[in-house]
Order: sequence, then C-alpha cells, then structure tokens
Amino acid sequence: MTDTAIPAQTRVLSGRQARRQSLMDKAFKSATAFFAITVLVILGGVFFTLVHGSLPALNAYGFDFVTTEVWNPVTDRFGALAPIYGTLMTALIAMAVGVPTSFGIAVFLTELAPPWLKRPVGTAIELLAGIPSIIYGIWGLFVFAPIFQQTLQPFLIDTVGKLPLIGHIFSGPPYGIGIFTAGLILGIMVLPFITSIMRDVFETVPPMVKESAYGLGATTWEVVWKVVLPYTRVGVVGGVMLGLGRALGETMAVTFVVGNAHRIGKSLMAPGTTISAAIANEFNEAVGELYISSLIGLGLILFFITFTVLALAKIMLLRMRKRAGG
Amino acid sequence: MRNSSFSLTSGTAGRAVAGDASTGKPMEANKLVEKVSIKNLSFFYGEFEALKKITLPIYDRRVTAFIGPSGCGKSTLLRILNRIYDLYPNQRAVGEVLLDGENLLSPNIDLNLLRARIGMVFQKPTPFPMSIHDNIAFGIRLYEKLPRDEMDSRVEQALRRAALWNEVKDKLNQSGLSLSGGQQQRLCIARAIAVNPSVLLMDEPASALDPISTSKIEELIDELKSDYTICIVTHNMQQAARASDFTAFMYLGELIEFGVTEELFTTPKKKRTEEYVTGRFG
Repeated sequence: MTDTAIPAQTRVLSGRQARRQSLMDKAFKSATAFFAITVLVILGGVFFTLVHGSLPALNAYGFDFVTTEVWNPVTDRFGALAPIYGTLMTALIAMAVGVPTSFGIAVFLTELAPPWLKRPVGTAIELLAGIPSIIYGIWGLFVFAPIFQQTLQPFLIDTVGKLPLIGHIFSGPPYGIGIFTAGLILGIMVLPFITSIMRDVFETVPPMVKESAYGLGATTWEVVWKVVLPYTRVGVVGGVMLGLGRALGETMAVTFVVGNAHRIGKSLMAPGTTISAAIANEFNEAVGELYISSLIGLGLILFFITFTVLALAKIMLLRMRKRAGG
Repeated sequence: MRNSSFSLTSGTAGRAVAGDASTGKPMEANKLVEKVSIKNLSFFYGEFEALKKITLPIYDRRVTAFIGPSGCGKSTLLRILNRIYDLYPNQRAVGEVLLDGENLLSPNIDLNLLRARIGMVFQKPTPFPMSIHDNIAFGIRLYEKLPRDEMDSRVEQALRRAALWNEVKDKLNQSGLSLSGGQQQRLCIARAIAVNPSVLLMDEPASALDPISTSKIEELIDELKSDYTICIVTHNMQQAARASDFTAFMYLGELIEFGVTEELFTTPKKKRTEEYVTGRFG
C-alpha cells in the first residue's frame, strides 16, 4: 500500500524496511494488548486476595456475616450489616442530594446561563472536583457539623421528626455527625463529577434537535426533560454511576463525619459507619486473624456492591433503550 | 398542478368569492391573502447586519421560496418568523413581522404559542430519540391532554398527511431514528403539522436527501399548501421553480426581487436576479 501511495519521492520499500515496519506494528499491538490485559489481571488479583483474606471470617460466620449487626472485637463476634447499611444509606442520601442539584446546574450551564456566567461557574465546579477528600472531612467535622447540629438538624427533628410513620428517620438527639451528615458531605463531593459529565453530554445534543423541540413550542423544561435527557441517557447514567461509585467507596471524608459506630440507628441522624470508614479506622489496630479477616471481608462486600451497581446500571440502560424503541 | 396565473395586482383578488363562513378563512383558490407581512425587517448578529430592511408579503396557502447564494440571509429570515433566534444571545430583529395582523416581534408575544402556529422543518432530519408514535405525540402533548385512542388517531392523521403512514404503520413503536433519511424528514414534517400550525417553515428540507426522497418531499409540499402557508429556503433553483408559487431572491442581506415564481425565473426584472437564476453567479 505504501509504495502505491507515495510513488515518486520515496523509493519502493526495501524488504528490510517492510519487515521492520510490520515488526513495529506487531510490537505496538502486543504492547497495547498487554496493558489492557493487565487491568484484568489486577482486578482478578484483587478479587482473589479479598476472597483469600476473608476466608477465615466467612468460614467462621458463613452467611451470618452479612446479616449480623454485632461488631465486637472483644468477643470476636463480627457482622457486616451495620457498615453495609451505612454504605448504602450514605450513598443513597448523596445521590438524592447530588443528582438533582447536578442536573439543575448542568441544565443552567448549557441552556440558560448567559455566556459571561458559564465560564466562572464551570471552572468553579471543576475546582470543586480537585479538593482532596480529607479537606471535605475536616470541613465537615469542624465547620459543617457544628452548624448543622445547631440549625438544620434541630429544625428537622422538630418538624419532620414529629410526623407519624416516617418521623423516626429524623428523630433523636442532634449529634451533628452521623449517617445523614456523611450523606450530605458525600453529596457535595460527587456533585462536580456528575455535573461536569452531565454538562458535557448535554452539549453533545445537536442544536438543530433542540431547535426542533423549541420550534414546536416546547418550554426549556420540556426540551431538557423530553429531548435532551433521552438523547443523552447513556452519558447521564454513566455520570450518575461514576458519582455513585465514588460515594460508595469514599473513605476519608466519611470517616470524619459518620460517627464510626457499628450499629444501625433508627434515625438517619444517628452515628453509623460505612465499609470503607470501618476498614480505614480499624485496620491498624486489628489484632487476631478473625478481626483482620472480617475487615477484608468487608472489602469483598464493597467489591460486590460496586459490581452490582454497575450491572444494574447496564440493565437499566438496556431497558431504557428498549422502551425508546430500539 | 400549480396555478401559474396568480397576480399580485388587485385584479385577481377582486373577483374572489366570499370566504368559508365556518372558518372565516377565504377558500377561493385564487384569492391572495397576506398571511405574514414582513415590513422593514432588519436583523443583527451582534453588530453585523444580516438582513437589511426587508419588506415582503407571504401569502396564505401558497408556497413562498427564498433563494439566493450562501450567506444572503434567507435562513436568517426564516428563523425570524418563529423567533427561534430568540434562543441565542446577541441576536435581534428590528422592524415588523405581522402574522394575521399581529406583530410577532413584540416582546409580549407568547413564544410557545407562536411556535405552535408556525411550525419548522430543518435542513437535516431531527427525529427525537423516541418512538415514531411519540415523536408525533410529543408536540400534541405540549398543548392537549388526549385519551389514548384520540391521540392515536391524531398521530395517524399527521402521518397520513405527511404521506408516511403506509410505510410506518406497522412499526410505530420503533425508534424514529431507525427510519431512512427521507422518512425521517417526512416524520419531522408530520410532527410539525400534528400541532396544527398555519404556517410551515422549511429550511432546505431536502438538502440532505437523495433525489427520490427529495421528489417525495416536493410532492408533499404541493399537497400541504392547500392547508398551510409554506415558506421554503432552498439552494436548489429547480426546486424553487417546481415547488413554489412565489419566490424571493435575496443577496447579501437585501431582498433583490420578489414575485410570482414563473415570472421571476423567466422574466426577472433585476439584472442580479437574472444572473443568479441563469447560474452566472452564486
């Protein structure tokens, strides 16, 4: 091919050159394949290590490990229910706070904001993503939690907390720290990720498609909700999943504000713990095979939770595609 | 097919019979009623004056074509008529555009209602990422809450009107994106007429289509003009000659000549028009 494409200037490739080129091509191919396979190997290694490390705990407690709330290093009784609950609940709160807010910001930035405001807000969002999580943790513990404890939390307890049926979720003493606080901090942390992805995918919608919807007399809300969002659903779900993955695995900030108590409070205001917070907190002082093994078992569970979340996201996308008609 | 004996003089209009009493609209084929009156219209992209004092009538239930070389402002003119330019900052129109006597450039105009009365079809097909049925229902749902069977019949009606029904009636639940380019464009036309506009704007509706699809679109335009006032921007002069009743030739933001299509193409009054329609520049 090369010799027909560039006939005049360069002479026909000599056999040696051709051989060298095809060799380089092969080397390039194997190098990239090697990198890609490395990912699988590492993932497999992590999984194997987690299973291997948690075997003693799994042998000792069996399936009870995930259904038991007790976590008592003194009596060597370990159950993962409280951290599992904490992980899921904080991530859920984070999504409940983060996703609508991010959506609003992304819509404003792509559809409504005047040009002079787009840049500063967009940059601020990206800077927010660059703040290390420990800063969020310190800020959450020393700044946010005290204010939250004195203002919003008593308010919620006095109002929503008094309602029947759902009241207990917001009842109890205002600790300042706890599952709810951790969820809020996580919500702020995932916000920049979800926002910037949503903004980027919203901008991929061809202006003509949006104009067609506006041209039918649709309002901005109708255009965003019924045209832009279906058009970008894959990217939006991807952004939300990225945020969710971060919320599930976030360690440092959560450890600061979650309270680190191995129990499931009736109230969201109560202190709790998450899987990653428990591991970070206790790995250093864990003594005895069962204790360490239980902590590794927690890691294995987190691995499964993340995997399940990703799988569910894929299934959801498939079903959405079917509903949209192919 | 096309009645070429239109006249802009009052003579034709004078012998028109009375309009249909039930709709209040004139039904007589030869009577010319100004549906949209463009008066002294200028348009600015920031500082740049893209349209310069355009004055132009657009007649009810006729096809008016805007022709001219790229950048002459013909698409801009179309985009003023449903005020889609309002979506973008730094674009403004000065002058008057009267739709049934109402100035649609006035800030008090409800844009959503205006756009329901003036539909638009774009250069490329723009089906929404939803089923064929929902593509049509989208616009209807913005204004009316209909029970399912009524909605279905409205969708069918629109698809029939756009000469697409027979091709899609068995796959209404498939994505609008699964259709061919020409079908997609007719879907967009069906979507636009489903909300019962009185004016239909078409911005080079066939420029991305193959010749067969193009001729289908042109046939459709000819069909639709009995119910709708149609403005079409086109690069293709044969298309303008075939499909339109009136033609406006624009050049560098100015309206050079406006008249009955046949006259404009056969006996243009201005030299520039002649040069353009005979292909000497553009």
